[in-house]
Amino acid sequence: MSPLGPLLLATLLFCVGIYGVIARRNAVLVLMSVELMLNAVNINLVAFSNLLFPEDAAVSGQIFALFIIGVAAAEVGVGLAIVFNMFRNRASVNVDDVDLMRW
Amino acid sequence: MEALLDYAWVVVALPLLSAALIAMFGKQLPGGGSELGVASLGLAFLASAGIAWETFVNSPIEPVERALEWSPLGGGFVFELGILVDGLTAVMLLLVTTVSLMVHIYSREYMRGEPRFTYFFSMLSLFTFSMLVLVVANNLLLAVIGWELVGLCSFLLIGFYWEKKPNQDAANKAFLTTKFGDVGLIVGVIVLSAGMFELDTSTPFNILEINGAAAAGDLATGTIVLGMLLIFLGCVSKSGQMPLHVWLPDAMAGPTPVSALIHAATMVTAGVFLLARLYPVMAQSQAVMAVIAVVGVITLFFGGLLALVQDDLKKVLAYSTISQLGYMIAALGVGGYTASMFHLFTHGFFKALLFLGAGSLIHAVHSNNMSDMGGMARAMPHTFWTFIVGSLALAGFPLTAGFFSKDEILIAGDIWAGAGFATGALVYWIGLAAAFVTTFYMARVCFLVFAGENRSHHPPHESGKQMVGPLMLLAVLSIASGYLLSPFSPDQPNFETWMATPILDEDATFPFTEDGATEATGVQGDGVQAGGEVVAVEGAEGGPVSVLHGVPSWHPDLLAIVLGIFAVAIFLAYRFYGRGVPERDPTLRMGPVSTALVNKYGFDAFGYRFIVVPVRDTLSRWATYSSNHWLDGIVGGVGRATMSVAQSTYRVLDQRVIDGGVNGAAFSAAWWSERLKRIQSGDVQRYAGALVAGVIVLILAFIAVR
Repeated sequence: MSPLGPLLLATLLFCVGIYGVIARRNAVLVLMSVELMLNAVNINLVAFSNLLFPEDAAVSGQIFALFIIGVAAAEVGVGLAIVFNMFRNRASVNVDDVDLMRW
Repeated sequence: MEALLDYAWVVVALPLLSAALIAMFGKQLPGGGSELGVASLGLAFLASAGIAWETFVNSPIEPVERALEWSPLGGGFVFELGILVDGLTAVMLLLVTTVSLMVHIYSREYMRGEPRFTYFFSMLSLFTFSMLVLVVANNLLLAVIGWELVGLCSFLLIGFYWEKKPNQDAANKAFLTTKFGDVGLIVGVIVLSAGMFELDTSTPFNILEINGAAAAGDLATGTIVLGMLLIFLGCVSKSGQMPLHVWLPDAMAGPTPVSALIHAATMVTAGVFLLARLYPVMAQSQAVMAVIAVVGVITLFFGGLLALVQDDLKKVLAYSTISQLGYMIAALGVGGYTASMFHLFTHGFFKALLFLGAGSLIHAVHSNNMSDMGGMARAMPHTFWTFIVGSLALAGFPLTAGFFSKDEILIAGDIWAGAGFATGALVYWIGLAAAFVTTFYMARVCFLVFAGENRSHHPPHESGKQMVGPLMLLAVLSIASGYLLSPFSPDQPNFETWMATPILDEDATFPFTEDGATEATGVQGDGVQAGGEVVAVEGAEGGPVSVLHGVPSWHPDLLAIVLGIFAVAIFLAYRFYGRGVPERDPTLRMGPVSTALVNKYGFDAFGYRFIVVPVRDTLSRWATYSSNHWLDGIVGGVGRATMSVAQSTYRVLDQRVIDGGVNGAAFSAAWWSERLKRIQSGDVQRYAGALVAGVIVLILAFIAVR
């Protein structure tokens, strides 16, 4: 099976994610865009695993993907908690409003 | 017993030890430290006597030299610290320690109750030590050290009563006058050793090596003439030869025992001794010999004349010392090496005796002036007869020590004249004339002091045992010491073999005479013997064979002349002074001669007018002015220049360059941070954008590189 399809999909997803991270103002949407990028990477891992070891029962790429899904879930948990606190303090989830860490 | 000679340094060390001990603990001792001085000098005397005996009975001996390397001079040359013991050293050791011991004992009574009694004894010991350093030195540098120490100690002792200005002046005069000659001595030593540096030796200052080199003809004539004349300049000042004798009469300002020490054993004999030490060098040059002889003759005659007009007893003796030193120097100048040292030896005893006797008189009448004495013979019998013995010896009365030694000098002159040198005849005839003068002024002293009525304001009394004892012992020596070289002495040992050293016997020829070797060891014979037969004496224990002249023999016609001179002088003196002080002293009635004598030939006036006054009023003012204005100006200018350089350095280098660099670094950091901090906006999306942009750039870079 040609990896072209999954890789194009992954590229598309990654670019969408990047766009979302850079361009969206809503913190929740930024987090979602990060999830998109992670999942693009997951697709890449699975696709290359199949491409490089087609006959073997090797599943290292898939295992990495599972790890990333776990990490992503944890990250979203932390990120949503931050967003929640941000909303409580500022009555806003707009990342432009949060620039306390500047000079 | 040979080993005894190796320990000659002990003789030197003992007085130094006692000087230090007296200075440290003297005040706590019942005798004020004087017992330490007497004890150490006593030991030193015993050791010297042993050394003298050892060198005398075995004479002639090889010189014993013991040296340790003190300090390298560079270039493979070494400065030694060492001793040289031969007959000459032994004689001087014996003379110095004997006289010094007598003076120490005598001073215990003479100086009793004086302020600074302990200090006096410490200085006396130090003075003795200084002279002994000079005597045993095996190289010229060490000798110069001893020489300078002697000068220092004499300065301290002459100025002992420093509360009075004239005494300070006398001390300064002695120090500065001798210092003038010391410069000549030091330069002379340098000149001689400069010649030695070119030879194959590591010890260019070694006396034996210098003598040997000179005798072997290894030293250039110019070196010898220049070196010896400069060294002789040192001897002229130290040994009171004209015209640098002026300090010596003024040195009477010191306590009388010091005068005895200065004029008998130490200080003034230093010059004669050093010349005798370097005799083989001196004997290489006729010119040097002539100069030395002429200076000696002038001094022995004109110095003696000055004694005629003095009223101060000590000054008479001082001028007589000058005159006798003139004899010694003149004897060296006419080849009378043994005669000169013999006279030095006997003169040391009878001059010490005379000075100590004078001290005893002064102690009794509290005045130095003979016009305040008179009739002392009854009151002070012991002082009287010892003083008479000393006077007879000084005047050269037959069978006293002075007779044998002084007449030996005259005969040395006679033989020298026979060898064709005019200076010899000069020494002979002027020496005879001066013998008359000597007899006359000593007779004058004896009549004025001992005959007639007592003119003092104190009832005179005989001095105590500690003063009379040394007088008696010295009186015995004033007679006995003459028999070391008289018609009665054996062929060997006698004073001549004692003085003889191999280098003198074998090498010391006069290259400018036709048959050099026979006059080599000095001329023998006393006033009653014409010439000497040359006899060879085998040295003890296979020692060197010495060319010697043997003991003198009697010679009645000269004896008659000497006795005649003596009788006339005594008769004249009796006529003038036999009945006390005359209305007007005949020595003051000789018109211009008296004027010249009273004015001391104008030496002091000349020195005051042309040396003291210009130095004090012109040179020192100029020096002060130049110091205050020029030197201080230079120093101040240098200071100010340094200040301004430092300040401009501070302003430019420190403030601008260094501080500018430091501050500039800080300011530039602030300037940049003000601008760079804006990157940290706190906007996470901008960070993310930058991150992505950076990744894209990196990817593109990788592609491009690939």
